[in-house]
Amino acid sequence: MKRFLETGNFAITEGAILAGCRFFCGYPITPATELAEAMSLRLPQVGGVYLQAEDECAAMHLCIGASLGGMKSMTATSGPGFILYADPYGWALGCETPMVVLNSGRVGPVSGITGAPGQGEFYLTRYPTQGGNFETVVLAPNSAQESMKVVVDAFYLSERLRMPITVLADQLITDGMEDISVPETEEEMKEMGFRVWPRSYHRGPDFYPATDALDIPPVQMGHNTGALCSDWTPTEEGYDIEEVEAHHKHAYRLIYKVRNNRHLFSDMHEKRHMGDDPDLVVVSFGTPSRVVNTAVDRARAEGLKVGALRLINLWPFPDELFRRRTTYLVVELNWDGQLVREVQRAAAEGSKVHFLGVCGDLPTIPDLMETFTKLLKNQPLSRKGWELEAW
Amino acid sequence: MKDRTEIVASGFGGQGVVRLGQTLGEAAVKQGLRVTMLKSHGTEMRGGYVRSQVVLSQKPIDSPMCENPDVFLALSAAAYKRFKDTVPPEGLILYDPAFVAEVDTGLKCRQKPLPAKDLAVKHFKRPLFANAIALGALSRLLEGRLDKDKVLESFLEVIPKYKEENRAAFELGYRQVE
Repeated sequence: MKRFLETGNFAITEGAILAGCRFFCGYPITPATELAEAMSLRLPQVGGVYLQAEDECAAMHLCIGASLGGMKSMTATSGPGFILYADPYGWALGCETPMVVLNSGRVGPVSGITGAPGQGEFYLTRYPTQGGNFETVVLAPNSAQESMKVVVDAFYLSERLRMPITVLADQLITDGMEDISVPETEEEMKEMGFRVWPRSYHRGPDFYPATDALDIPPVQMGHNTGALCSDWTPTEEGYDIEEVEAHHKHAYRLIYKVRNNRHLFSDMHEKRHMGDDPDLVVVSFGTPSRVVNTAVDRARAEGLKVGALRLINLWPFPDELFRRRTTYLVVELNWDGQLVREVQRAAAEGSKVHFLGVCGDLPTIPDLMETFTKLLKNQPLSRKGWELEAW
Repeated sequence: MKDRTEIVASGFGGQGVVRLGQTLGEAAVKQGLRVTMLKSHGTEMRGGYVRSQVVLSQKPIDSPMCENPDVFLALSAAAYKRFKDTVPPEGLILYDPAFVAEVDTGLKCRQKPLPAKDLAVKHFKRPLFANAIALGALSRLLEGRLDKDKVLESFLEVIPKYKEENRAAFELGYRQVE
């Protein structure tokens, strides 16, 4: 095991390489530029290929090409680049092409603020492309060290589910530095819970089974499959067809291979002080969860019955974690409230759901403590002059 | 000693604020401590706003935010104004009077001027070395938590150029603080 003081960008690069990634194509953008830089240094050292594309749309299409050629591939960006993945993301979902996409959230909309964290793409990562008829899998780490493991998990899931997987980080994770342990042997990887799945060949002649089956290897060009990378609805054999029955089969596959295999990632969350049915459950993901954890520890020390629920698996949304009727406070790095809408939908009937938003910086512990206290006393919340009672 | 140490450095881009935080973090890793370092900045490479927040602890670190810094290094008037009130009474503000002309005398914490830019120009002919002087002073203030030798060793690794001048500037900064 080696220890470094390094950025999340470095940790993600090492994680990807440990997972078998050998092709990276991207277009540099803060706060993921150092990831491209690290990949350009590290991939040639392990026999891989680094390519800088003319833009993000081309970058992800090139990753699809590399994956069809048999390489585990990855691209990385921030919000303004992620939106340009809309076209290739659809291709990768429809053609069931495994790859990993990293989005490091900064402050939006559009270019916003580069060097500050935001969480404005909670829903965008669920619906990264048009057309519907698909599920997506999104994972959100909250530290540089965890981002390494989550990227390994993302590659694992992308192979087994045969689809692109999004890792949603934020500027503090990718640009921030932490002491990071990098495993050097397979034993150490196992100890750290790293799951690796090898790329295998799909020898055809069919393109896909119209079932929710796991572990169907991806098609690989030049390997006797006759299939296919196309934006049209495919037949099971891999031919283009514009026909409703074929489309239904394809949609079933894209939706239910994820929904029916959630056991692969449904344990990806963290609970703190949740064992005694707390009166207030604070829900968050990514870096804000670290401040929430500190605040919840402090609240407990002061005798407040508060617990913290931190989501790593964001999509498909883990409804089952919200079955208890209680008061929920959702903390996010945006002012509009995104995760809170999903918690509102999933929370048991009779629950109260509140929202605390901040953007460009993390929430502070005094702000959180004050909010906990007010909610536990049933007092109204306000923040920076905005009434938050609507939530 | 309390387990968690928070250090904030803030100023303009180009002053070495990020390198400084990184150096302290590297030294802490060498000593087996857990470390987080956040950097926030504008788009500009030079001249924009920059802040490093370093947390050191023996235990895993939850919040990486420095809400009550033990030491705050202010290298611009804007940074001083923005973060001075976060320093608790037992904390310390180290500021460079070349950039921070107006000091808030109502604060409860200790405040110490460190004329790093002027010393750098006087002794080394270049303001560039103000960063090393500031780091030397920080290293003195953090003694007991970080070893001076480890900080200097890390600094020379992080900035592999001008080693002699950087070493001398570091020592000069170290002597500026009791």
